[in-house]
Amino acid sequence: MNIGLLLSLAGLASLAGVLAGVRWPRLWLALTVGGALTALGAALAVLLGAAAWNWQSEFSVGGEPLHFRLDGLSALFLVLVAVVGGAGAIYAREYWPDAHSPSAARRSRIWWSAFVLSMGLVLTVSNGLHFLMAWEIFALCGYFLITLDGERSGVRAAGWLYLVASHAGTMALFAFFTALASLTGGWDLGPMRDQAGLAPLFWLALFGFGMKAGFFPLHIWLPSAHAKSPSHVSAIMSGVAIKMGLYGIVRFSGWLPVPAAAGWVVIGLGAVSALLGIAFAFAQNDVKRLLAYCSVENMGVIMIGVGVALLASVRGHALWGQLALAGALLHVWNHGAFKSLLFFGSGSILHATGTREMSRLGGLARTMPWTAGLFALGSIAAAGLPPLNGFISEWLIYLGLFDTVTTEANPPWIAIPAVVLLATAGALALAAFAKACSTIFLGAPRTKAASHAHECGNWMRGPMLALAGVCALAGLAPFLFWPAISRAVAAWNPAWTAAEIPAPLMTLGAAQMILAMVVTLAAAWLGRQARANGLQRRPTWDCGYAAPTARIQYTGGSFAGIASSWFGWVLQPERKLRRPRGYFPTEAIRLERVPETVLERVIAPVAERVMWLSNAARRRQHGRLQFYILYLVAGLVALGLLVILGGLR
Amino acid sequence: MIYTFELILRLAIWLLLAPLLPGIINKVKAWVAGRRGPPVLQLYYDLAKLWRKGVVMSTLASPGFIAGPAVAWVALLAAAILMPLGPLGSALSFRGDVLLLIYLLALARFCTAWAAMETGSAFEGMGAAREVSYAVLAEAAIIAAVLALSVHTRSVSLVTMLSPSAGAGAALLAAGLFTVLLAENCRVPFDDPNTHLELTMIHEVMVLDHSGPPLAAILHGASVKLLLFSVLLVQAVVPLGNLSAPLAGAALAGGVLAVTIGVGLVESLLARLAFRRVPLLLTTAFLLCLFALLVSWNWK
Repeated sequence: MNIGLLLSLAGLASLAGVLAGVRWPRLWLALTVGGALTALGAALAVLLGAAAWNWQSEFSVGGEPLHFRLDGLSALFLVLVAVVGGAGAIYAREYWPDAHSPSAARRSRIWWSAFVLSMGLVLTVSNGLHFLMAWEIFALCGYFLITLDGERSGVRAAGWLYLVASHAGTMALFAFFTALASLTGGWDLGPMRDQAGLAPLFWLALFGFGMKAGFFPLHIWLPSAHAKSPSHVSAIMSGVAIKMGLYGIVRFSGWLPVPAAAGWVVIGLGAVSALLGIAFAFAQNDVKRLLAYCSVENMGVIMIGVGVALLASVRGHALWGQLALAGALLHVWNHGAFKSLLFFGSGSILHATGTREMSRLGGLARTMPWTAGLFALGSIAAAGLPPLNGFISEWLIYLGLFDTVTTEANPPWIAIPAVVLLATAGALALAAFAKACSTIFLGAPRTKAASHAHECGNWMRGPMLALAGVCALAGLAPFLFWPAISRAVAAWNPAWTAAEIPAPLMTLGAAQMILAMVVTLAAAWLGRQARANGLQRRPTWDCGYAAPTARIQYTGGSFAGIASSWFGWVLQPERKLRRPRGYFPTEAIRLERVPETVLERVIAPVAERVMWLSNAARRRQHGRLQFYILYLVAGLVALGLLVILGGLR
Repeated sequence: MIYTFELILRLAIWLLLAPLLPGIINKVKAWVAGRRGPPVLQLYYDLAKLWRKGVVMSTLASPGFIAGPAVAWVALLAAAILMPLGPLGSALSFRGDVLLLIYLLALARFCTAWAAMETGSAFEGMGAAREVSYAVLAEAAIIAAVLALSVHTRSVSLVTMLSPSAGAGAALLAAGLFTVLLAENCRVPFDDPNTHLELTMIHEVMVLDHSGPPLAAILHGASVKLLLFSVLLVQAVVPLGNLSAPLAGAALAGGVLAVTIGVGLVESLLARLAFRRVPLLLTTAFLLCLFALLVSWNWK
């Protein structure tokens, strides 16, 4: 079927969804899911071999003719938009229902459709001016989605921060696109690698798109926006929206020439984001903040892959660049799948208990077995452990990095810190997810809310199951995904068209499949043996306490204590401690908060100083006319002196 | 057919020989202390007994309490299958298998920590927190060592990487990997497998509440992991690829024995470190591996 027709159908369905969202939830759901499926079909058609779709029209918007394009790279991201856009719409039906708050549900539907539509536009337009328009609509829709629950001041602050950060990035993009238009003489976008003069523009794009992609230290808006928005919004923000920033970086580093240092800088930024992102995640007490910082880590991992690809394309080496870029692009999908799954899971926890604070939860595995199992699966994927999908993409990126040193006569030294930091970040990710899973799901419930938790319904469970299926499929049969990924890689650099898979994905997939089967069998076997020998239930032995309370359990904060003390220099935790006093102490308090260091320790003081200066300057503007005349006279006298003394010559 | 036979043989080597190592270590310790000590085969008797015993589970625990040790055990065995055995080579070798091996060890760690946290006991929380935190440094050291071998041999598959020795950096690599071996296998000076004071333990405290067959899986898995690290260490340092097959086999066995005796001697002569010193020692191990990497980087 015609790709253009499919895409316009999907666009029309989303547009109709914006209208239907006002009054008709069922029609809206049908339109959104139908539109998502149609867009998915179009994107998969391009990825699986159909020619890239390119459509130019005489019709112009803002003085520029419309130009749409869907090639392998944009199709890859469009798949993500379609999958999470559809899954989130289904999830929201139960999570954010009309019964709870009709107006919030209505706004959620309208902005959801607009958000998905604008992301589709960002991915398909091929004109600088229209790209900026679509980008702005996309950023604004994101703001309205984050502030759906705008009665709370924290939510409004998070939305405001998002809006400011987003526009700081957009400002750089304005500069980028106008400079590009003036240097090339037109707004039309496309491959222009041969114009070497465009290379410095890469830095503008890196900042502008990096702000959205949220790598360290441009991630300041990300934790609060992801933590405080409703969970279906967090899922699409974290799983898809930040990938739009990445799309920008990958797209324009593919179309435009890049400076020689680009690869080094991007690898460095990626490695730092990976390590610090996950260090922050480990120290969090709020499950959604933890997941948000984990996104910073994963964007770092992707950036390492992209950086290696940039390095390879500058040096002209196809093999390892291809591997690393394939790993990075596959990680875009994988992260989209497991992070949306984890945010849906955290939404289910929030729905059941009303709190995101991990130290108030515990023991949910008994009351919410589905959520617990799916969250655990997402955690294993997110920690990059075999046999799930996170491992596959990290493995490809590792392989690209290792190949830089095994195949090159003069390998770039940055591969060493990148490999070491990637491994360290992986181990910390494991620690962070061990902490999250164990504090939320294992042990005894720490509060009444946690003990009265209930499992989520089918509308919430269905999308989670679907995403978990994607995670499992990409882990057990990665070769199925290879044609699509290699198509996207070829769209980035037309010279990189590998005929066969340059990595033993078949073997790895088979190994993971066998591992998954043997693991299941072994667990069943051990369980059978334990039951056959006789299984008794007794209370946990806790050093002889007769009646241990749930509060004796290790909390998330204590779990993270050792490793976060190593990162104290950047985490800068705020502690408040009141020790128990006297022979019969009545109360003791220990509060700990991990601030967003870059925001609160760097940007906030600078902003305060700027505000102070502006206030000082404002004092000069008090409305008294005689002083204004004095300023004028002083200015004239100064000018006159300059002229007389010849300073202007 | 021959492949299946070989796979079974290889599994048998790992499954049957692994429990020997803790026995040897205990014998060495007893010998240094002037005691007679438990028999070398003690762990075999223990495993056989545990397999037949009943299980006591915490009222809080879910099925993950038993599935965790099972998954960890399989993951460790799978890692062992990937490890080449000197002249026998490897059962499954592909580009990048070394990364799968490292991440299989990580999977085992995740599942052990999960099973430990099932009970809701604060002690097991302490153990799990220590295990996953110290592993961060250990993993950095391991990946640096792997990268050193990879740079030296220009390969990313274990069979080729472990066939020649680590070259000029071999001594550094040996010291680094031996320290990591001690840390990852919960040996003195990082952890004391003999104490029963929960507050001072890492790995042992995570398995306090396990009993019966799951405990057998945990103990056996731990011995497989010890053998795995010893084999890795010996092959990384001794150039087995240059020797004839019987000689290489003998060298591997002798090397593993030497490492085991070394662990026993360290355990007899050193005291356990205070916890705040553990990161320092692990960082030293990382630096040793990193220097080995830099040596092979410049050697090319």
